[in-house]
Amino acid sequence: MNILLKSAKIIDETQKDLHLKTRDILIKNGNIAKIAPNLSAEPETETVELDNLHVSLGWFDSSVSFGEPGFEERETIANGLSTAAKSGFTDIVLNPNAHPVPDSSSDIVFLKNAARGQVTNLYPLGSLTIKSEGVDLAELFDMKNSGAVGFYDYKSPLQNSNLLKIALQYSQNFDGLICSFPLDAKIAGKGIVNEGEVSTRLGLKGIPALSEELQLVRDLFILEYAGGKLHVPTISTATSVKLIAEAKKKGLNVTCSVAIHNLFYTDETLEDFDSSYKVMPPLRGANDVKALIQGVKEGTIDFVTSDHTPLNIEEKRVEFDNAAYGSLGLESAFGVLNQIFDTETAVDLLIKGRERFGIATPTIAEGAPACLALFNPDVEYTFGADDILSTSKNSMFLGSKLKGRAYGSISNGQLRR
Amino acid sequence: MGELSVKHLLGIKYLNEKDIQLIFETADHFKEVINRSIKKVPSLRDITIANIFFENSTRTKLSFELAEKRLSADVINFSAGQSSVKKGETLIDTVNNILSMKVDMVVMRHPNPGAGIFLARHVGASIVNAGDGAHEHPTQALLDSYSIRERLGDVAGKNVVIVGDILHSRVALSNIFALRLQGANVKVCGPKTLLPKYIESLGVGVETDLRKALNWCDVANMLRIQNERLDISYFPTTREYTQQFGVNKRLLDSLDKEIVIMHPGPINRGVEITTDVADSKQSIILDQVENGVAIRMAVIYLLASKIK
Repeated sequence: MNILLKSAKIIDETQKDLHLKTRDILIKNGNIAKIAPNLSAEPETETVELDNLHVSLGWFDSSVSFGEPGFEERETIANGLSTAAKSGFTDIVLNPNAHPVPDSSSDIVFLKNAARGQVTNLYPLGSLTIKSEGVDLAELFDMKNSGAVGFYDYKSPLQNSNLLKIALQYSQNFDGLICSFPLDAKIAGKGIVNEGEVSTRLGLKGIPALSEELQLVRDLFILEYAGGKLHVPTISTATSVKLIAEAKKKGLNVTCSVAIHNLFYTDETLEDFDSSYKVMPPLRGANDVKALIQGVKEGTIDFVTSDHTPLNIEEKRVEFDNAAYGSLGLESAFGVLNQIFDTETAVDLLIKGRERFGIATPTIAEGAPACLALFNPDVEYTFGADDILSTSKNSMFLGSKLKGRAYGSISNGQLRR
Repeated sequence: MGELSVKHLLGIKYLNEKDIQLIFETADHFKEVINRSIKKVPSLRDITIANIFFENSTRTKLSFELAEKRLSADVINFSAGQSSVKKGETLIDTVNNILSMKVDMVVMRHPNPGAGIFLARHVGASIVNAGDGAHEHPTQALLDSYSIRERLGDVAGKNVVIVGDILHSRVALSNIFALRLQGANVKVCGPKTLLPKYIESLGVGVETDLRKALNWCDVANMLRIQNERLDISYFPTTREYTQQFGVNKRLLDSLDKEIVIMHPGPINRGVEITTDVADSKQSIILDQVENGVAIRMAVIYLLASKIK
């Protein structure tokens, strides 16, 4: 199938001659055949004409959860990837939080196979330790050979410092990426929301910023000692941004991400005990949000993620204490970012991060494989139930005013919208 | 008579000053009623109230039940221990099942903060929060303020110190909101481990020296050390806690002025206060219990009048 995109405004700051230009784009057999004004459709070509169509490189998300295997009622790989594609994402990194957790080569192969033939590419993370129990290292090398792009005990902090040291050392000869969730579990205690004025007012147990920062400092010291490649998924405090900046200045091989909702909401949203806003790391205070946005702008925070976490209504429509952590994010990612930043920045943020996971970054050029996000950056709307494409419906953005919406994406020779 | 600004009593923070005055004036009337030989009024003969307790309680449950019965409401009681909650039923289902039996009002105690607010969002009855985790216990704060008003004439301008485990205490939080709303000055006192780090953002002072706190205050509200809520050790021993934060008669007598002693009960005698303090004329602990019934009658009566 050939595709002709009509009057698409190209957002690609790396290409001065195309950036912000409106062009027709012809895609033949999965590759960009021609980029020019006013192309006419050849036979057997699907012509795509969309209001205020913009295109950029396909978007990337470094922290996405589905539910297969084990939690298919939350999300399947097929519908999850379809949701990603319709939301503009052509490459996603899948968190290792299925049941059982993927901690062996065959688990990784299963995930890769389940994702075959989809528009969006799935890159699985393997569990760092066996069953993500934080005790013994899983077979990292073997998983890497099967397609794991990094190793992570999903949101489960590594309590054993020596284990992180060993993981960072061991992974060096095969260039493995080690992820460590920044949370000192003892300091966090039974906390479930940001410790601050809001938690005090609501009587909810707080997670002090200290719990994140203490663990992060530890991890950075271990990285400095051991070497290796460390990725810190989803930081949430102002001091964490500072710590990462200092570590980078020292030349440490560290990257970090931030969840888009941590850039958009503060813990003030918790006032009504609405479990939609219960996420890990928690929504923090206004000063943290400000510092995180600044960190993103300055590049201290390497990339943003939707931290997409589908959960059944049964896991959310309960007392706040008993609700599970997480929100959908893929469908709203662009609309939220495009509210916080200008469109070029929002798009730039959605493109960044692939190289950290060893994933090739595509280009928009004649002859190159077509890997494109299709979107309208100017449409303003209230994010509603109809905007949710996931099997689960737990979006904290329901009712929020967003700006910009993805039409879909083109990748692997297919258009999905 | 006026009416409340709210449909539910979920917390003091959702009330305004007028609501509190209205509740107090209504409670004045009911206090007179419960001291008559016939302690009952027929006001709520057409109202059915479910007391749903997901957490143990003796006095609050008794107090609510008595208040309901003295208003002639039909009352059903339900405790989590004997319920299908243990079989995995959700809170919404449990309450909706009870409501299907034509219940008008739910009085609920629950271990999770915000449970009452959650319920009010999802079910159709009027909800009275009888304690939700470490969030609020509004009727306790109302009866505490009512008791201060009764003893000292007014709450406004009074200095009140709340002593003990503030971190796990819904009584402390509701009292802070209620006292601040009525213009009292509030300090909290206890070991730093049991004071929320951001407690001053609620407009209260922090004092870790008990003697200083007592010399400052007109009223000391002594909270119980809730051993059942302490998941880790916040102080080495109860003995050491008492040495620093327990009130005994000697300490009380050595103060510059005569202060009022309150306690929401149940008392750990010899821990937060000694027996001679609890039973002294400065203590209004039993007045609090009596006022609890009048306050709960007032709250239920006023909320019921919004159902009709």
